[in-house]
Amino acid sequence: MSYVHPEYLVDTEWVAAHSEDPNVRIIESDEDPLLYSMGHIPGAVQVDWFSTLQHPVRRDFLTKEQFEEVASKLGITNDTTVVFYGDKSNWFATYALWLFQYFGHQNVKIMNGGRAKWEQEKRPLVKDVPSYEKTTYRSKEPDKSIRAFREEVLKQSSSKKPLVDVRSPKEYSGELISMPNYPQEGAQRGGHIPGAVSIPWSQAVNEADSTFKTPEELRALYEGKGIKPDEEVIAYCRIGERSSLTWFVLKYLLGYPNVKNYDGSWTEWGNLVDAPIEK
Amino acid sequence: MPLPPKLQEIVDDFASMSREEKLETLIGYAESFPSLPDWLTEEREKMEPVPECMTPVFLFGEKQPDGGVVYHFDIPPQSPTVRGLAAILANGLNGSKPEEILSVPADFFTPMKLEEAITHQRINGFIGVLAHMKQAAVKLLENKSKN
Repeated sequence: MSYVHPEYLVDTEWVAAHSEDPNVRIIESDEDPLLYSMGHIPGAVQVDWFSTLQHPVRRDFLTKEQFEEVASKLGITNDTTVVFYGDKSNWFATYALWLFQYFGHQNVKIMNGGRAKWEQEKRPLVKDVPSYEKTTYRSKEPDKSIRAFREEVLKQSSSKKPLVDVRSPKEYSGELISMPNYPQEGAQRGGHIPGAVSIPWSQAVNEADSTFKTPEELRALYEGKGIKPDEEVIAYCRIGERSSLTWFVLKYLLGYPNVKNYDGSWTEWGNLVDAPIEK
Repeated sequence: MPLPPKLQEIVDDFASMSREEKLETLIGYAESFPSLPDWLTEEREKMEPVPECMTPVFLFGEKQPDGGVVYHFDIPPQSPTVRGLAAILANGLNGSKPEEILSVPADFFTPMKLEEAITHQRINGFIGVLAHMKQAAVKLLENKSKN
């Protein structure tokens, strides 16, 4: 058994071999925005989930035009193969990939294992920031089929359709409102969306080298909790970064046809007046 | 009480910086982050965790013969932003007396406009680190009054 869409995954060796390939752009997307400056994969550019990809004023992503500007500045054309990698088992790499897909960029990949594996293999990290000739990128209209909004989530919950809560067990139970060891702020109430099953994101990756688990292990993990490919699935966490990883696993590694990431996640739901909560 | 002069200097510098300059300065602090002295590596259980941070952060306040405090941090290299923020506090406060450290207002960094460069969640970590540095200072004061 292999992953259903293995073309969405490349290994560190592939990235090392393609770091100068003009048809490939390697993008680092981290939780810690300074990591790129401390050293990155030769040829890689950086996007920051917050300062590059969020709307500067509203709580939302860039507009279509703003995204076009970002992609153009990074020297990306509509045909470029964009490979994402990052820290924390690729949380924000999958988040950036999800967002590129939201704006219609088709040819995207994740470097399996992310920064951790690259560093473990003692591969080179450089400080030179490359610059690429500016392109004229044309984005599509945002693809709402991969992004869930609160009304849909409410409907999903009340019609008892699958919701996956990928946060840590204590966040799911309501004991904490943010990750253990993270500041406990951002939501007025703790708990989970009624009907959501708890499958922490970390169960999808190998702790030793941050790579994804095998197709057999992943299938057993999600199907064992009743999350099957025949229904629409919505994944959420606190701000949508950890659930991007789960979204990637379900959509591309397991080939579920209909998966959405709810980026509002607990920082919206836990603050939403009148929203049902289970503890 | 005014801020310790070194800390005031850092605050003023940041206040006048662009976003890019702030990031570059943070990188500079992260790059010059000192490694733990050998004696503390051997007695690492003396260090206190800072649970508010996104990263495993441990600190220790060392009393100097003149009564000043020198802080030591243990923060993994995978978290340069946290290293940079802790280094700012260490640079600004090292050598100050516990009383001076305790008098630093929790919002002293507001004029630095850190939110231009880093997210609010990280700023909360920064506040957490300062709070734990103060706790260490309180302990040193208590020890002094016992002796």
